[in-house]
Amino acid sequence: MRNVEFRIPQIMFDELFAHLFPGDHDEHGAVIAAGICESARGTRFLARKLFIAREGIDYVASKYGYRALSADFVARVSNFCAQNRLCYFAIHCHGGSDSVSFSGVDTDSHKRSYPALLDITEGGPVGALVFAQNAIAGEVWTRNGVHTLDSMTVVGLNHRRLYPAPKKSATIADNIYHRQSLLFGARGQEHLKGAKIAIIGMGGVGSLVSEWAARVGVGEIVAIDYDKLEPSNNSRVVGAMRWDAIEALLNSRFAALRALGKRLSTFKVHVGRRVARAANPKVKYDAVVGNIVDEKFALKLKDADYIFLCADSMQSRLVFNALVHQYLIPGVQIGSKVSVDRATGDILDIFCVSRPVLPQPNGGCLWCNQLISPAKLQEEAISEEQRKRQAYVDDPTIHAPSVITLNALGAAQAVNEFLFSLVGLHDDEGQVAGYRMASPRARRWSKVGCASETSCPHCGDMKTSVFAKGDRASLPCRAAS
Amino acid sequence: MSVAIKLEVTEAINEVGASFPGHQVDIEPDDQGGAFIRVHEIDLGSAYKPSATWVGFQITFQYPFADVYPHYIRHDIARADGKVLVTPFNHNQTFALPSGGVSAVMVSRSSKRRDPVTDTAVVKLAKVLDWIRSQ
Repeated sequence: MRNVEFRIPQIMFDELFAHLFPGDHDEHGAVIAAGICESARGTRFLARKLFIAREGIDYVASKYGYRALSADFVARVSNFCAQNRLCYFAIHCHGGSDSVSFSGVDTDSHKRSYPALLDITEGGPVGALVFAQNAIAGEVWTRNGVHTLDSMTVVGLNHRRLYPAPKKSATIADNIYHRQSLLFGARGQEHLKGAKIAIIGMGGVGSLVSEWAARVGVGEIVAIDYDKLEPSNNSRVVGAMRWDAIEALLNSRFAALRALGKRLSTFKVHVGRRVARAANPKVKYDAVVGNIVDEKFALKLKDADYIFLCADSMQSRLVFNALVHQYLIPGVQIGSKVSVDRATGDILDIFCVSRPVLPQPNGGCLWCNQLISPAKLQEEAISEEQRKRQAYVDDPTIHAPSVITLNALGAAQAVNEFLFSLVGLHDDEGQVAGYRMASPRARRWSKVGCASETSCPHCGDMKTSVFAKGDRASLPCRAAS
Repeated sequence: MSVAIKLEVTEAINEVGASFPGHQVDIEPDDQGGAFIRVHEIDLGSAYKPSATWVGFQITFQYPFADVYPHYIRHDIARADGKVLVTPFNHNQTFALPSGGVSAVMVSRSSKRRDPVTDTAVVKLAKVLDWIRSQ
């Protein structure tokens, strides 16, 4: 196990911190039940449920040290972890501020308890976290050995990172980033370099996000789209060249030439990779020709730091929303729409939207806000022939209006949301939920409030919710063959 | 290589079987993780002629988030009083089983909102049957 990270939603962190540090300079305890995500980037533990240990009842005097979790409390919570296939993490606090580590009493206690807890929780892993005001240390026990926690990420409007001891100063950023580093700082630029972002859909919106992310210095980009370029994409997909979609072939009256034109057309993700590498030769770019609805592609995103949803199908919305909540990865859905009166051709409305989704209750969950239609999910899953027969869909040859500058409104808002979160520049910590909507005709930006339901299968706290379960729940994807 | 039916879909199919004991239930994978289901010998009541039909539907791979609709019944069903079946009954449709399409009447009753925990495939089937019987 390497690169061990513990991710916790801001709301849960705030509750835990208030319990551990009420101002009495005493020691307090708690347990977190966590999911797990294992990938090539490392291991992430995902805080799902916090159990506060009540003073004198659950957190009591210990015969080995100062205080300890009571046997009843440990039994109850470890049983919960076993039943829900979650990892058990005991928590307590020490004094101090910027550095923290386990005491000898702590590690002796781990040796006494954790082998048994591993059995109770059917392999866990299990572990312990110790907090100071501005630091965290951790130990993870598996059946294969004991591992050290590298960091904690508090996932909120602003990302916050905690370590066992202060990180050494960031190196001065590359001169090409000088002007933006004046805003982000050298540390912020380093965070961008270490970040992995995912872009679902590389059309008019995704291509903008991809170029901007590469240009600001994001270290790793995964872009997913199964589509090839068409001539009509040239006006919106940044970096698309005339030869990427040869109109004369694609519109030929000969089927063989049309087929050749289709074969010679460039995949949108390959255009994105070309543009990104031109902007930033150091970027690690994974151009995935595929559909996010297929499990093998969706799982490529589970260890991302941020997800941009730039596709407009209901199926991709559902998978995006599941990834955000199941793996505690913040994301944003971006879109623009021009409504046209079918009968008269009149323009009815134009809007561009950026919907940030934070993995926590009231974080903007797309399911809670009825932005994922169950009926549309069903319709998108059946064959095209069946859809036509049932007359569910509009004529696919009729395209909706789309303009690069309208796409750019939502895309710019979303990329700023990501940048400010990653480097900690948002100033309204209390106002997490809310979508941003532009109405260009009225020359107005507005904020749309969000709903949240405790029974939600993605962000809710019911047993059936996939919230923070990570690899221990399945994604709503097409199964692998 | 064929795609296995997803666990959530299998559980839904089992619920359907358990709720219709004694009825033949046919299952065909849709090769995406979902399945086509056909429950036989369902009684629609004396308002229909013939009153017994099979009912077919597809549970898709994004169930339980995805709605379960439309439902299909035998193609020669008619009202006993001679009145014409109107929308959401749709004649001249096909229940598109992978093993071969079956002529059918489609009953299109979608749900705008659904609770993935309580609005199961069998609950939806019961609601659709109640609705058909009440017409």
